[in-house]
Amino acid sequence: MMQLSRRGVLAGAVGVGTVGLCASQWSRLTGADIPGRHDDSLSIAILGTNQDAEARQSLVKAFTAKHPDIPVRLQAVQGTDWADFFAKILTMVAAGTPPDVCVVATEGAQLFAERLAEPLDEYVKRDAAEVQNYFDDVHPSLIEAFMYKGSLYQMPIDFNAANMYLNTEAMGRAGIEYPAPDWSTQDFLDVARRMKQAADSTFVPFYWTNRLWGGIVPWLYINDTSFLTEQKADGGDWLWEQFYPAEAGKRSGGYLWEGSNATDARVAESFEFVRALVHEGLGTSPAQGGGNELVGQFSGGSIGMTPAGGFWVQGLSAAGLKPSDYDVAYFPKWRSQRHQFGAAGYAILKTSKRKDEAWEWVKFCTSLEGMQLAFPRPETTPTRRSMCNEALYSEKGPAHWKIFYDTLDNLPCVPIPAPPQQAAVETALIKNVLGAVTGSAADLPAALSRLDEDLSRALES
Amino acid sequence: MSRKTLIWLFLAPTLIGLGLFTFLPIVASVLLAFFRWDIITPPEFVGFDNFAEVVTDPTIRVSFLNTIGFVVVAVTLQLAVALALAVLVNAKLPNLIKSFFRSVLFFPLILSAASVSIIMSYLFNENFGVVNQLLNLVGVGNVPWLTSTHGAMVVVVLVYVWQNFGFSFLLFLGGLASIPNEVYEAGQVDGASSWQQFWKITLPLVSPTTLVASVMAIISALQIFDQPYVLTRGGPGDSTRTAVMVIYESAFKQLEFGKASAIGIILTIVIMLVTAVQFRLSRRYVFYG
Repeated sequence: MMQLSRRGVLAGAVGVGTVGLCASQWSRLTGADIPGRHDDSLSIAILGTNQDAEARQSLVKAFTAKHPDIPVRLQAVQGTDWADFFAKILTMVAAGTPPDVCVVATEGAQLFAERLAEPLDEYVKRDAAEVQNYFDDVHPSLIEAFMYKGSLYQMPIDFNAANMYLNTEAMGRAGIEYPAPDWSTQDFLDVARRMKQAADSTFVPFYWTNRLWGGIVPWLYINDTSFLTEQKADGGDWLWEQFYPAEAGKRSGGYLWEGSNATDARVAESFEFVRALVHEGLGTSPAQGGGNELVGQFSGGSIGMTPAGGFWVQGLSAAGLKPSDYDVAYFPKWRSQRHQFGAAGYAILKTSKRKDEAWEWVKFCTSLEGMQLAFPRPETTPTRRSMCNEALYSEKGPAHWKIFYDTLDNLPCVPIPAPPQQAAVETALIKNVLGAVTGSAADLPAALSRLDEDLSRALES
Repeated sequence: MSRKTLIWLFLAPTLIGLGLFTFLPIVASVLLAFFRWDIITPPEFVGFDNFAEVVTDPTIRVSFLNTIGFVVVAVTLQLAVALALAVLVNAKLPNLIKSFFRSVLFFPLILSAASVSIIMSYLFNENFGVVNQLLNLVGVGNVPWLTSTHGAMVVVVLVYVWQNFGFSFLLFLGGLASIPNEVYEAGQVDGASSWQQFWKITLPLVSPTTLVASVMAIISALQIFDQPYVLTRGGPGDSTRTAVMVIYESAFKQLEFGKASAIGIILTIVIMLVTAVQFRLSRRYVFYG
């Protein structure tokens, strides 16, 4: 074996040191070069890709022009769904690098309100005159969805109610007219059967996905029930009296979903309705997750109806559908016609050291100017009623695009049931829905009993 | 400078890397299993509570049983397919064709498991998938591949085996190449048929490779996550939920990092036990020439 002398080792050390010194002087990227790191930027996390963050640069530029003293850094955090996104935000919190502001959807609103988000009450009261225009333009149901135990945690910027998309080619083939606003579940079954009779074997009248939004929940809501108990918290009068005087005394301090309601007779009735739909071949066995194949199949004419909201208009247009190729209607009526919606807005994190700057960002993003910059295309439904207009939907939207916002005005609307334990609750729901609707009628009570046990366990955590 | 110092000097970069990025996280994970921690609030010491919860949680129990069932079926299938194809490719074929098959059969392994699973979910879609459309052509109705308990596990196994047999296949090819031709020639002289040669010569002499391939395949299969997560999210019900999936769900969905660590420790112990049993059995069933 080669023997190394002391002189040899020293020479080697000097050599390594020289190389190291040269390398240290070499111009290179380090962590400090990452834009916004260790500077005083307002850090804003959004769900999406770098392209999504890039698309919001016009919003950032307009904000910076108005507030040149507040540098902004948009961070795109990718996730397959909101739960995935929230997990990554929590990881950032654990790593000691939480954003100052974060987009939070109804799925995570109560989780954030309970643990991470700063209430906006004092800011809203302080700048009431500035935000009055926002509240004048936004439906109170959307605001109530972001109240938690009497405090407001977010001012939503977009929402989507679960309406029913209709394939006009399938309707025409079966000789079906656009449904009445209060069409019943029996009417829905009739439409589905006629669509199926008029089509080939690859056609499915009703397609749905197994998730919290647009899955089993709309069928529970129209039967005037839910899989969780639903109560309302006290408080929040300050907001209703100030901004929605007509709603004072009618609205609450936010929703509380604290127990399982899976063994309710109406829940069983709704599940049986959907189970029968699947067994008759009128509906698909629900796809897991977001239903990646949905746009392709709907635009290809293989699907007759599916629950969707205003977010789908741009996607269908990009897939080549003309406005006349499809239409949108309310979800059918059962015991009620209560609609489900999901919404999203910016939350300020408790840990932020720039809360005042963060509030300026929230205010700007909820202003008409900010929202017009954020939503130039119909990729979602803006919460401002004035923005849901002909200009947004012309040449792309279906004939009855007004339904997207009218749902809030004309029908009772309730947010996605998402308590602070939303991820565990959603997992419990998703894993039991499929078995319940693909099994036999005799197996349904046992499936709902399992759902009840899983939900109870999830809500205990 | 002493020789001993020099050795430690050379080892230092590796040891520091291992310490920081392997041993420290392992120790932290073990410690975390004794705490309740949701990232947001400070950790709270709970002793063995997390382990007690893991043992009594029916979902975790089912997930471990699913994982064991999956490992038995998937690894058996993976090794059988890999060995059969290795024997076929090792036959007297031109080198160019051998290279072609080696590349093609190894190819799935280099693909992302998530991407493969997304594509497979399209192929096995009950209503619109190509697989059912082909079955329709021969008079078979739509099979609920991903929406029935048994169908979902079958698809998970098929997708996993399709993607992973390539590695075992390469190991077997190497093992087969090391068997001297003279042994087969002697067998032929004694009148052994091809089938007898396979059972009496190939299988015993390739047994060291089988041991390595099976150990690696079992360890890998016990950690299955991507395929069921993308294809079925563990459903219908818990029918395709696996041990690593419940670790992920406990940590990142339910924010129970202590419980997730406890499940991870139990899974590690299972992997160590299974590997130890394999090596113990190998004394009887593995022949080293």
